[in-house]
Amino acid sequence: MALDFTFTEEQEFFRQTIRDTVNRMIMPRVKELDEKEEFPWDLWREFAALGYLGLRHEEKYGGMGTDTITQMIFYEELARGSCGFFMSVTMQILMGTYFIGRFGNEEIKQRILVPAIKGEKIGTICFTEDQSGSDLAGTRTLATKVDGGWRINGRKQWITNGPIADFATVMATVDPKLGLKGLNFFLVERKTKDRDGFVSGQRLHKLGSRCSVTGELVFDNVFIPDENFLGEEIGKGVQYAGEILNEVRVMTGMSALAIAREAMEDARQYANNRIAFGNPISKYQLIREKFAKFWAWYEAARTFLYKCAWMIQNNIPCINECMLAKYHATEMCMYAVEEAMRIYGGNAFCTEYPVQRYWRDAKFLLYGGGTHEVLCDYLGRVYCKG
Amino acid sequence: MDIFVLVKQVPDPEATIRIKTDTELEIENKYFTNFFDEIAIEAALRLKEKFGGKVTVLTVDHRRVDALRRGISMGADEAVQIADPALEGSDPFAIARILTAYLKDKPFDLILAGRQAMDDDSGIVGIALAEALNIPHVHSIIGLEVDPSKKEAKVIREVENGKEHLTCPLPALFTCQKGLNTPRIPLVMNVMKAMKAQIKKVDSASLGMEPNKVGSSSLQVKVLRYLPPPKRPPVKMIKEDYPENVKILVRLLREEAKVL
Ligand SMILES: Cc1cc2nc3c(=O)[nH]c(=O)nc-3n(C[C@H](O)[C@H](O)[C@H](O)COP(=O)(O)OP(=O)(O)OC[C@H]3O[C@@H](n4cnc5c(N)ncnc54)[C@H](O)[C@@H]3O)c2cc1C
Repeated sequence: MALDFTFTEEQEFFRQTIRDTVNRMIMPRVKELDEKEEFPWDLWREFAALGYLGLRHEEKYGGMGTDTITQMIFYEELARGSCGFFMSVTMQILMGTYFIGRFGNEEIKQRILVPAIKGEKIGTICFTEDQSGSDLAGTRTLATKVDGGWRINGRKQWITNGPIADFATVMATVDPKLGLKGLNFFLVERKTKDRDGFVSGQRLHKLGSRCSVTGELVFDNVFIPDENFLGEEIGKGVQYAGEILNEVRVMTGMSALAIAREAMEDARQYANNRIAFGNPISKYQLIREKFAKFWAWYEAARTFLYKCAWMIQNNIPCINECMLAKYHATEMCMYAVEEAMRIYGGNAFCTEYPVQRYWRDAKFLLYGGGTHEVLCDYLGRVYCKG
Repeated sequence: MDIFVLVKQVPDPEATIRIKTDTELEIENKYFTNFFDEIAIEAALRLKEKFGGKVTVLTVDHRRVDALRRGISMGADEAVQIADPALEGSDPFAIARILTAYLKDKPFDLILAGRQAMDDDSGIVGIALAEALNIPHVHSIIGLEVDPSKKEAKVIREVENGKEHLTCPLPALFTCQKGLNTPRIPLVMNVMKAMKAQIKKVDSASLGMEPNKVGSSSLQVKVLRYLPPPKRPPVKMIKEDYPENVKILVRLLREEAKVL
């Protein structure tokens, strides 16, 4: 029996546990987190104390070393709560600490990874600049080799956790003329009395996912020692980035599932109770069609995403699959939040109902892990080549 | 202190439940630990943390162990599943007989249970077990202090318009009510432990249970018929203007809704 779509009893238990944790810790605060637009330090500390920030790291650094499917179950359930909090947590678990866990030396891991897993130090990853987002080859942040280390100069934008970050994995070029081949990752810490480092620039105010704080980081001739170069050899940054992207894309897809489901479950309840022309609006075929379409796309998206998780877990190459699944799940989510907005009628437009929050939160899915134009351009090219 | 906690997995409030036949329900496969049992687990863990000892979570369920894993994820030391196809369809009295058979030779200081299970709301198992084991019990406690040296517990339970403070010699059985504590959220480390935990299985034959004393052949309480909750009555609009509408409303509240 090679094909089996069931979760094990243990995985179901894990899902139920996360669900309950999210219901108790996060759900009662979702509205407040969105409205305050501040990083919820109290929730962060409480949540970090449970140990989930170490989900995918080695046990010897305080992690749990779980498998990919377990991680994806965690992401799917966590994203039901506050989307902003989800972004901060996943940045810490995955993108913000991945290269430190992979390339950091023992001293760096003890000094940075161990407290990061405890939630005591906050991490992030920096690709985006004012003139380069999708187009990584346009990266202008420069790493210049000097005696005993590197000097970093540049500005990074749109950095999740940026305003509160203690350390960052920074993509910089050793020579802009080399394009993608010049790109590498460096570990840079925040400037303190005793250490050179980055400082915060402007903070951004966002449409959604508002309790994750986002902003600019400024690198003004920052010196970092040699061991802060994250990689085995120079010029492999893009390859390394590619190696984490499968996970990032499936994780992003998981949050699409969660947001879409929350939106549509609320909409279902609304449609069953809202009376128009003498009937609950769920009796009308045009409304029912929205649910049917959502349901079909949701089931397909979920199955595809877990297939990708399974492929990652079993080391089966799946770059295209993960792109397709992220693209599909995100478009499904866009459909769900859009239609939920319509099902709620005018009530969708006031902040009393959560549906507008799902709609706002969901929009972040369009950019992380590759915009859909970029993904589709690439995937279409691959498909046409045959 | 050696503490046993009785736990049950009940349908998740989100699970859909349909009436299949008059006496059979079809329940979606979504279960979680009975809310009051989590309070009991928490109470047991707090006593263990204070006085040392061991907490064992115990369930009678042929199919599922979710509540046992929940217990371990919260910090329980051991989990025991009394599982046997013969137990299927047991009523609360049969469950109490099975638990009696398992516990009668075991050393323990305290047994804790939830005040009732959120599915059948019967609230019988804990009390019936205490009677069968011939130990004292207090139902629905909201306060618990133990003095292990005196082998005594002080408990508080809610009664109408007040609280009753009681002392009780140990070993005893208490059923736990909301307000006793707030159950902890498990640490991921313990969640992982719970996922991997070996759960001890015990069958009814090894407990010396006669087949006619358990399962559907032993029922003292029989379900005759399940009835769905009544459909919500249609909304009644009062079309008249003020002050006529107020008069009609008061009359309807008095005569139809009978709330005044
Ligand atoms: C909430 C949020 C959090 C973020 N957090 C981080 C973070 O922590 N770290 C970080 O580095 N970045 C972060 N980003 C930035 C994100 O990674 C970028 O927004 C993303 O890479 C897209 O880049 P861009 O915004 O510069 O858009 P651009 O690349 O300028 O794209 C603009 C438009 O042009 C289209 N386009 C671009 N190239 C092509 C092409 N070849 N063919 C067709 N169309 C094309 C795009 O699809 C898009 O529609 C975050 C963004 C958001 C919204």
